[in-house]
Amino acid sequence: MKARQFFTRLLTLHPVLYLANLVAWTLVHMSLLIPGLITKRYFDQLENHGHYGYAVWGLAALLIGAALGRMGVIAIGFLTDVHYRFRISMLLRRNMLAHVLNEPGARAIPCSPGEAISNFRDDIDQTEEAVSWSVDSLGLVGFAIVAGYILTSIDAQMTLFVFVPLVLVVAAAQIATARIQKYRAASREATARVTSSISEMFANVQAIQVAGAESRVVRRFVELSDERRQTMVKDKLLTETLSSVFTNSVNLGTGAILLLAGYKMRSGSFTVGDLSLFVYYLTFVTQLISNLGNFMTYYKQMTVSFGRLKNMLQGASASLLTAAAYTGVGKPGRDWDRQEQRRKREQAAAGAGTAGGASDSPRIGVRNSAGAEARHGAVAVQTTQASAGSTPGAAAKTEPLHRLEVRGLSYLYPETGRGIQGIDLELQRGSFTVVTGMIGSGKTTLLRALLGLLPADAGEIRWNGQRVASPADFFVPPHSAYTAQIPRLYSDKLRDNILLGLPPEQSDLTGALHAAVMEEDVARLEHGLDTVVGPRGVKLSGGQAQRTAAARMLVRDAELYVFDDLSSALDVETERRLWERLFRQRGEATCLVVSHRKTALAHADRIIVLKNGTIEASGTAEELLALSESFRQLWYGEEAGDDSAG
Amino acid sequence: MSGERTAGETARRAGALGKYRTILGRYVLPQRKLMLGLTLLLFMSIGLQLVNPQIIRYFIDNAQGSGSLRPLYTAAILFIGFSVVQQIVSVSAAYLSENLGWKTTNKLRADLAEHCLSLDMSFHKTQTSGSLIERVDGDVNALANFFSSFIIHMAGNAMLMLGILILLFRENLWVGLVMTAFVIGAILLIQWIRKFTVPVWTKWRALSAEFYGFIGEHLEGTEDTRANGAAGYVMNRYYGLTRRMLPVRIRAFFGFFLMWGTTIFVFAVGNAAAFIVCAVLWRHGALSIGGIYMVFYYTELLAKPIEQIRTQLEDLQKADASLVRVQNLLETEPLIKDGPGAPLPKGPLGVHIQNLSFAYEPEEAPTLQQLDFRLEPGQTLGLLGRTGSGKSTLARLLLRFYDPQHGAVRLGGTDIRQCRLHELRSSVAMVTQNIEIMEGTVRDNLTLFDDRIPDERIMAVLVEVGLGEWFRGMADGLDTQLASGGGSLSAGEAQLLAFARVFLTDPGLVILDEASSRLDPLTESRIEAAITKLLQERTCIIIAHRLSTVQRADRILILEDGRILEEGPRRELADNPDSRFSRMLAVGLEEVLA
Repeated sequence: MKARQFFTRLLTLHPVLYLANLVAWTLVHMSLLIPGLITKRYFDQLENHGHYGYAVWGLAALLIGAALGRMGVIAIGFLTDVHYRFRISMLLRRNMLAHVLNEPGARAIPCSPGEAISNFRDDIDQTEEAVSWSVDSLGLVGFAIVAGYILTSIDAQMTLFVFVPLVLVVAAAQIATARIQKYRAASREATARVTSSISEMFANVQAIQVAGAESRVVRRFVELSDERRQTMVKDKLLTETLSSVFTNSVNLGTGAILLLAGYKMRSGSFTVGDLSLFVYYLTFVTQLISNLGNFMTYYKQMTVSFGRLKNMLQGASASLLTAAAYTGVGKPGRDWDRQEQRRKREQAAAGAGTAGGASDSPRIGVRNSAGAEARHGAVAVQTTQASAGSTPGAAAKTEPLHRLEVRGLSYLYPETGRGIQGIDLELQRGSFTVVTGMIGSGKTTLLRALLGLLPADAGEIRWNGQRVASPADFFVPPHSAYTAQIPRLYSDKLRDNILLGLPPEQSDLTGALHAAVMEEDVARLEHGLDTVVGPRGVKLSGGQAQRTAAARMLVRDAELYVFDDLSSALDVETERRLWERLFRQRGEATCLVVSHRKTALAHADRIIVLKNGTIEASGTAEELLALSESFRQLWYGEEAGDDSAG
Repeated sequence: MSGERTAGETARRAGALGKYRTILGRYVLPQRKLMLGLTLLLFMSIGLQLVNPQIIRYFIDNAQGSGSLRPLYTAAILFIGFSVVQQIVSVSAAYLSENLGWKTTNKLRADLAEHCLSLDMSFHKTQTSGSLIERVDGDVNALANFFSSFIIHMAGNAMLMLGILILLFRENLWVGLVMTAFVIGAILLIQWIRKFTVPVWTKWRALSAEFYGFIGEHLEGTEDTRANGAAGYVMNRYYGLTRRMLPVRIRAFFGFFLMWGTTIFVFAVGNAAAFIVCAVLWRHGALSIGGIYMVFYYTELLAKPIEQIRTQLEDLQKADASLVRVQNLLETEPLIKDGPGAPLPKGPLGVHIQNLSFAYEPEEAPTLQQLDFRLEPGQTLGLLGRTGSGKSTLARLLLRFYDPQHGAVRLGGTDIRQCRLHELRSSVAMVTQNIEIMEGTVRDNLTLFDDRIPDERIMAVLVEVGLGEWFRGMADGLDTQLASGGGSLSAGEAQLLAFARVFLTDPGLVILDEASSRLDPLTESRIEAAITKLLQERTCIIIAHRLSTVQRADRILILEDGRILEEGPRRELADNPDSRFSRMLAVGLEEVLA
């Protein structure tokens, strides 16, 4: 998608509203024609009649009446403008957020969260401005046509002189825009670096305070800020020069009128009233042209911003940015419903297409993922449930897991070239599998690649023998649930952090809290489940956060539970109870777990030892203790064997 | 008389600006050179603007008569020449004022950032980093205009207005009087309208900060959201926020409309008044037709300063809201006040916890109660207890992230409330289980921008903590960029990097708060030697959930519900079958045998 198409699409999203906005602002600008005519009439009156009489009072009243009328259109224009701005910018933000949430979770954004926030804020603001300023152009055209007609009928030659600078200005602007892009990009980048550094600073505030590094961090921030100042000032100088070309054309035009008018006024073919009308219209033509200039500048800035927004999408089609969707305001209309359905179908089809490979494999992943999405879609926007097509109950048809097979799964981090390679794995229904290995051996990467949180380079995943085309869409509840190694909690109530949108009445929250050994902690909290946990859950201890995340996973009915280093922040006693309850209560559910803990290892039906991204050994703890040197080291925590000092 | 009233008006407005004086004095005054340059350009610009209408009047009045066309051409060319010069002046002024704006706001940004960093966790617990971006950058951006051009434009516009009025008086007393009345009325009306619009802006900025806080938080938590199918939850929160934002934004825009609409109306009235006065004077022969045109021209010209004062006031409105928030932020006192600067001894620090009680919130049940113990310099304490028993809280007190309500923490005999925070935190180091990797190079992450630490030392430490192999895989060595939150680093590697950070400093007390929880047993045993070296000649507190971690401890302290359950030398406790510690050892053994 090109910037131009993106822009056009934004203009046609709410055609009626846009049209209303366009009409309102066209009228606002065209209403400027009237006071000029009144003034001309006034001078003519004085020159021709030499007395003022009632006509002057009438003209004065007209002047005020015209102003009141103009205020009325402006009021309407403001209303349509704010609605249009808000709707499109919130739609863009919504779509971008929805896309980010739809990307492989561990690589959802291509930059730091701070930079991404700047995309969400500034780039979309720029786009909003460009769209909003676009309505002013038609008013200019209307003004120019009518004014041109009136002025030509007074003096065609002079009219030409009014419009010549206009053409020059537009040409000059076009030439200059190419340069603006470059500086704009530089200043936006510098801004992103600044916001990103603030974000990093406060995300790691405790580490900085512990290290007493405040002043050094601030010094670096100052350097980045100064770089931003330099780029910003350059940018401003350019914009300002450009805009001064616009404004200057008025004065040059006026000067030209004076040059010509002297001779004509002497001969009496040009009155003071004519002069006043020419100068008046010239002023407003320029004002409107500088509006157009503003629009052009905003448009150019938008193309830069659009590039950055596209970058956020990590290769996905930019058309999804402008796809119609519910944004939280207005009625969730039928239109976007239909479009949403179509989009989902297209996406599903595309997912199946890219899966490639054996064409005879039944693509249950696609079908099921559509079901799961529909279910969550239904949770998200309850009002559209009825029209959503598939019923929320569709999820109940999930096929129970009998066997999960992984063949040749590989993922290498592009930055470091490390990762996992050629992993083969098989999980039977109800089994408990532990992945272990030294740090950096690829345990977390393995889980992420399996669940689609990282896009696998190669490999195949089969659920009950059927190929999973798109793991990222497939491995969500009710197929699987997951606790990340460093779980993220949100500044919301504890209850909502666990449920994450599940309907409370249908969820066994108490059961999940119990299984996660969290029930006593909740009882001890002053506001219980209504406690607002603060940003990143900082109001909870590390262990509590980890168990909240476990409850978040367990409250979801899933065939497969995947958890990464669940107990790293737990004390022995709590950990023992956690494992105990998990083993007792998981029932038929299959578990895939990363852990170093002996409790977990000893209970495992099967242990997979990873080393440098490949499977070194696998078996039960007993077998591995007998067979694998690496496992013995991991178990005893020391270097055994001949080369070890003991 | 009218002149006095105008001056009075200006003074009154200057009084209203009084509350900005401190902040202007602090940030704008130091940029005197830029201010001076701007003022000079301003005077030029005002002069040029005032002279042009006089040229036009001369032109019109001359065009009415007869004689040589030459003066007419001269007038036209002068007009063009002055216009060009004025444009150059205005571009230069814009350049200078932009520069001034950034210089001053950057200073404010830095001050805010520094201040926020000095605030304690009780503040940061309530702020998302996204909302802090809004406060340190967003709010300050809204102040940029206020800093860069507000005073100059205000003063400049006031002078331009005054100049126009004087010239109108010179033309005719009545014209002057009517136009002065008009200007005063316009300003009063606009000021009055302004009152209705300020609070909405405050609300809009606050909502906006909350919105970007929300976005930031969910950009960090994509993994959890994705894998648990919780996108719907996030989107619902998004919709909830949008629903709250729209009405506020509409009201904010309505404020804009009120301002603009008022100006249009006021000018229509002004023009109408000029129509009538001029017509009367024309009839009496007191004003030429060129004079009338000039009066109109000046009236139009008055629009500019009044319009600019209006937009400046609009900016001020936004700035007002932001300034209040910025000031609130700057006035947020850290609960932890820097001490007067009692020195801490060099070398290992003795720890003395004196009858200490602490609660996070005064009305809540205390997290720590009546703790009392000593740790001799160079000794290692194993701090045990269940989750929530108060172990990490004790560590936070040692670093003065909080102050106890009762009792004291003494290091090397000094109450830590007497020390400079900076000195305290350079003497006490802590490694936690949190992953705190910033976007930046490996070097920056290890030294936290302390460029006095030589690269050789960093690399030696990396090898020491067992990251040698990992480091050899880094294409750009110490300049390799790490992603925010660790990125391609495994959690264990991130934890080792945190260890390495401490090795590069020279603390007298080291606190390891579950510092090895993310390490596999083999890696943990491999860095044993490094830790032993680190703890030589240092006092150490090891907080642990598991017993294997405290094998090196000289003493053991077990916390339960914030009280000391047991405290003593490790060997004694281990040998005493009745001690809680020995019973825990039995459980731990069970873990091993399970």
